[in-house]
Amino acid sequence: MVAPATLRVVRCGGSTLHGARAVFSADSYLLCASGDFVKMYSVATEETLRLMGGHADLVTGIQLNPHNHMQLYSSSVDGSIKLWDFMDGIPIKTFVVGSKLLALYTLARCEDSVFVVIPKHGERDTFQLVSVKLTKAAGQDLEAKELSVVLDGVDASPKRIAFGREGEYVASVKGINLQVYFFKQKQLNRFSVSATKTKSGNNHFTCIACHPTEDCIATGHADGKIRLWRNFYHKKEYTFSTLHWHHDTVMDLAFSMEGTSLLSGGAESVLVLWHNESDCQKDFLPRLGSAIEYISMSSDGALCCTLHTDNRITIINSNLRFSKSIQGLIKSTDVKTGLVVDPRTKALVLNGEPGHLQFYCLQSDQQLFSLDIVQRQYIHQAGLNQADLVKVAFSAQGKWLATVEEREEVTDPELQLKLWFYDEETQSFKLNTRINMPHEDHITDMCFRNMDELEDDSLILVTAGRDCVFKVWVMVEDTDPEAQQSVSWSCDFVGSYHNYQATNCCFSEDGSLLAVSFEETVTVWDSVTWDLKCTFCHPPGKIRNICFGRLTCSKYLIGATDYGFLCCWNLLSCALEWSAHLNVLVLQPDPLSEHIAAVSWLSKESSLFVFKPNEPRPIYIQRNLCKEKIQLAAFVPRDEPEMIGSEKYLWLRRSQLFFLTDTQELMTLSTKSLEERLTPSSKQLAVEESLAVTPFSLLLGKHRRQQSQEDTDLGKLVVHNKHEQDSPAVKELLHTPAHVLPSASFLCPIFINSLLISKENKSAEEVADEVEMESEKTEDDSDEERDVTETEQEDTSPMELLGEMTCKLSKSQEKELRKIRKMDYSWISAF
Amino acid sequence: MGEFEVHRVRFFGLVPAGVRCLACQPRGGRLALARTDGAVEVYNFAANYFQEKVRGGGTGNRAGPGRAAGVTGVPPQVIPGHEARSVEALCWAAGDRLFGAGLGGDITEYDLARLCVARSVDGCGGPVWSMAANGSGTQLAIGCEDGSVKLFQVVPGGIQFERNLDRRKGRILCLSWHPSDTHIAAGSIDALRVFDVSSGQTVQRIMVSYHVQKVKRECIVWSIAFLSSGTVVTSDSFGRVQFWDWERGTLLESHTVSTSAVLSLAVSEEEDSIIVGTSTGATYQFQLLPVKMGSLEKRWVRTKPFQHHTHDVRAVAHSSTALISGGLDAQLVIRPLMEKMQKKGYEAVLRKFTFPHRRLVSCARKARLLLFQFSQHLELWRLGSTDETGKDGEVLPLCRMPEHLLQLKSKGPEHIYCSCVSPCGSWVAYSTASRFHLYRVRYEGDGVSIKKV
Repeated sequence: MVAPATLRVVRCGGSTLHGARAVFSADSYLLCASGDFVKMYSVATEETLRLMGGHADLVTGIQLNPHNHMQLYSSSVDGSIKLWDFMDGIPIKTFVVGSKLLALYTLARCEDSVFVVIPKHGERDTFQLVSVKLTKAAGQDLEAKELSVVLDGVDASPKRIAFGREGEYVASVKGINLQVYFFKQKQLNRFSVSATKTKSGNNHFTCIACHPTEDCIATGHADGKIRLWRNFYHKKEYTFSTLHWHHDTVMDLAFSMEGTSLLSGGAESVLVLWHNESDCQKDFLPRLGSAIEYISMSSDGALCCTLHTDNRITIINSNLRFSKSIQGLIKSTDVKTGLVVDPRTKALVLNGEPGHLQFYCLQSDQQLFSLDIVQRQYIHQAGLNQADLVKVAFSAQGKWLATVEEREEVTDPELQLKLWFYDEETQSFKLNTRINMPHEDHITDMCFRNMDELEDDSLILVTAGRDCVFKVWVMVEDTDPEAQQSVSWSCDFVGSYHNYQATNCCFSEDGSLLAVSFEETVTVWDSVTWDLKCTFCHPPGKIRNICFGRLTCSKYLIGATDYGFLCCWNLLSCALEWSAHLNVLVLQPDPLSEHIAAVSWLSKESSLFVFKPNEPRPIYIQRNLCKEKIQLAAFVPRDEPEMIGSEKYLWLRRSQLFFLTDTQELMTLSTKSLEERLTPSSKQLAVEESLAVTPFSLLLGKHRRQQSQEDTDLGKLVVHNKHEQDSPAVKELLHTPAHVLPSASFLCPIFINSLLISKENKSAEEVADEVEMESEKTEDDSDEERDVTETEQEDTSPMELLGEMTCKLSKSQEKELRKIRKMDYSWISAF
Repeated sequence: MGEFEVHRVRFFGLVPAGVRCLACQPRGGRLALARTDGAVEVYNFAANYFQEKVRGGGTGNRAGPGRAAGVTGVPPQVIPGHEARSVEALCWAAGDRLFGAGLGGDITEYDLARLCVARSVDGCGGPVWSMAANGSGTQLAIGCEDGSVKLFQVVPGGIQFERNLDRRKGRILCLSWHPSDTHIAAGSIDALRVFDVSSGQTVQRIMVSYHVQKVKRECIVWSIAFLSSGTVVTSDSFGRVQFWDWERGTLLESHTVSTSAVLSLAVSEEEDSIIVGTSTGATYQFQLLPVKMGSLEKRWVRTKPFQHHTHDVRAVAHSSTALISGGLDAQLVIRPLMEKMQKKGYEAVLRKFTFPHRRLVSCARKARLLLFQFSQHLELWRLGSTDETGKDGEVLPLCRMPEHLLQLKSKGPEHIYCSCVSPCGSWVAYSTASRFHLYRVRYEGDGVSIKKV
């Protein structure tokens, strides 16, 4: 397989979920607009089942087709409405409307039209609700130009329009005005609330919901009130009642399916359930983590789902019990920690919830866990200074974690340095040492000395602070007999240079040298004697980033300055090797190769340069990487080296480069083409279809070809490990319905053989690491349950087969089998 | 413009009496109000809710536009209270006759022309907690401490005892007639009862807190209303407003309005709107609204909350265009219903009556004296004086502090109706409903002596 000629920038997580309300399908899937995609989650397992891409811009609305609940309409800012078969992830039709679509609504009453919000032609910031007639013509791409205006002067937000009982009327709010249009009577009623400004804010409308069976409209207001409007078909005798609990803006409202209760949510991150529209009867679901942006109900009323501002999805039972949480990359207010890779799990580590550290699994787009660092109650209040996590560093093996938290206080910052030890038993980090005020002023950088062999006793942590010193922290034996742990951390050395602020610090690869930048100067220190070895300076401009070269280039030190210079110093000759004029924002060395990635920001576009320190000419340049400003980048080691066809992209062989933009979208560079990356399952399906003659012949044929195929099989994603791929015989055996299989006695040797081969391939480390296996096993157990629900029609045969064979299988083989069963079965539906 | 010295009179410690009950004249334009001190006031809607002025004893001579009446400050129509007579309930019967009943056990008819008690009849049932007139205004029902409901016939020149209804234990706190005059609903402690008027029997008894688990305290039905559809509306001390089907004895709807007691309740004449008052000072409106457009199914919906009072709202009334509430904070609030107003105007304004519309202060101009009238006594004060002059708005230093000269206690149980001091300050007069008193005041240096004339 030949890699395509260009590298593609692929969004891989953190896309905002705020486009539209989530939609529950009739068979317990959750559909959600996420950036340019529509994501389908399984409500039962929280897994992302499908990613439907095709829109060229933000998806702004998703609605089930009221006449076919297996179909989904989606609208996008790119001006098109797409009709999807979401079970197969296939776009059925695309209707091109032309102008920006900002919200989408469907009505069961309207056979062939949907409602969208578009900007009014020729006027800025005015929007109108129009109905779009969807032509029934054949073909995939259709024009839908037949628009008729329903309401003028509506708000662009999808939360501010709602359709009433059986589509009798449509209500829209904007500012302090509510307008209700009755379709049958063609009557438009306008109401407004008095524009008073109180202490808690104004009473502008923020959201609207209509009662499903009665003529009642619920509106949310910026001052936290909910108004229930009735009798609104009389212009004069309308009336409303008020519910008030929220102290801040009501972000969204939803009626239950029968209309007996109302759900509301806001910045307090508390979901409020109002019974019988009464002020006195209400229930709460507090501590949902972050502000609630959207609330949606499933059609059977059993579940409700809230989308949060930090891109989390929470699924809640109808009795207001927390059920599940789907969380990808949690959006935090500010990623101060940078992107750090956890050496143990290879997860990306960065700020999560306020005061927490999130461990984000790149492969599954899921949060592995969230570590509470600050350990204080977070209070949702604007303008309150809260302690937040600012720096994170891992030791080389991931055994130690150092965190710095500070409270943003201009004059007197409150600092804490915490050192966490990874406890193998509890499989989590345990606080070992807490140091109050490690520096007098903000800590600017922190790093561990990464020495693999000397991990335990000679581990050194260096912190650089704005108080003009850097400090060296070492582990010491705890002399206190009452202490629970044997070691603790204490300061060993304080270094400074001409009373300049220390801005960055970095250890060389072998740990013998420490580079600390002091404003405009880089100083190099011996890490044993703590002598100042030499200094480098490249005026003008303060040093922004420094890093040492690796492997063959370890004699070089790279620094980026404020005024747009990238310098490379030779540590042996203590001279400037080369420098380049480049406004570098991010400087990131690859831990596994000598490559260094630099991201520059010039005239509103980010460019990527990859170079080796020993040659001033970059290996790879990509201009206009993305529109957004890139904030952070990280190299994540691959599980196995990827085969890269082109010489140009060899630097991507060992690790993968990830970026975080300032909108907190995670992006990566991929050499693979679109369909290969996006839909591994459908891709798999295509392979299967092209080969299938009978499952049995496939089984045998594949088995014979397996040896040669093993190394070149690139069709699968990195997600699946090698040993998972290389036994198609087992896979076929498990996937094929029982009635078309040959007798078990015939299959048995093939099956066992395939298992033996795969065992040879397996590395020894996996078997050795007993603890890791433990954890995987528990995971597998849950996987098993999930599989049962998913593959109802075919799960009897493999289960029986398994039952026959487990007696012959060792423990590791069993594990192997389970792993295989984790793979996607969706191709079954093709049969 | 001449120059004025403005005195800040901060020594008039008047404690206004709270509003105890309200009664709207059916199909009429008058509102009767009783205060906790037993005083009864009559307001006229036609005169923009100003207290009625009666001149020269003739009822025909009501004040014209109320605005003029307010500005000129004519004496209002107030029937002063009586020590031994509290008013717990007021009702209009037989057109424009006003009856009151109280814990003294008497039923009193007021003479609105002469502003005094016309006649008084003993109810023979202990303290009277409630009274209601039937729709045609021919009969009065009173609910007594001993649990009896008694019917009185309204006859010209008085009332006549007619019969006792079925008596059970427990004081009757509220009463309401069915608009067809065939049944009476009565609220008691923990229960409400429905009487058949013709037979006098209890035909339904409903325990209001029957379905509430683990009731620790008793539930007092504070107020009740009987609608023509057969629905009984109760408000109770648990903060609930409940709608009952009296024939089946079932609960139709229950709205928990407040965590504290709902003390009062009033229904509009069209029976599509209810106002309730709670002990937190909030009032709420309930409206009977169609569930869907054009459908006949209607439901009571709590709509507008108002918080005008600081204390218990003991009395509410529902006129055709306004919600009226009176509380223990002595305020009378009239909240017009905007949707019933034809145009924005003088009528469509929220009104609050915080001060009594009576002349309680009289001034002796020459002697620089002020006479304050309280319900049971008078106070005479000398104003402070200053030697200096200043510009507009300046606060001048006092060379002589205001001085409390005398306190004059009235005799007998009757409250003072009006009082006056002569311009020279040497004569003080006051009157009660039945007697007139005149005193001569002598000033001897710093001392003051008084002599009854």
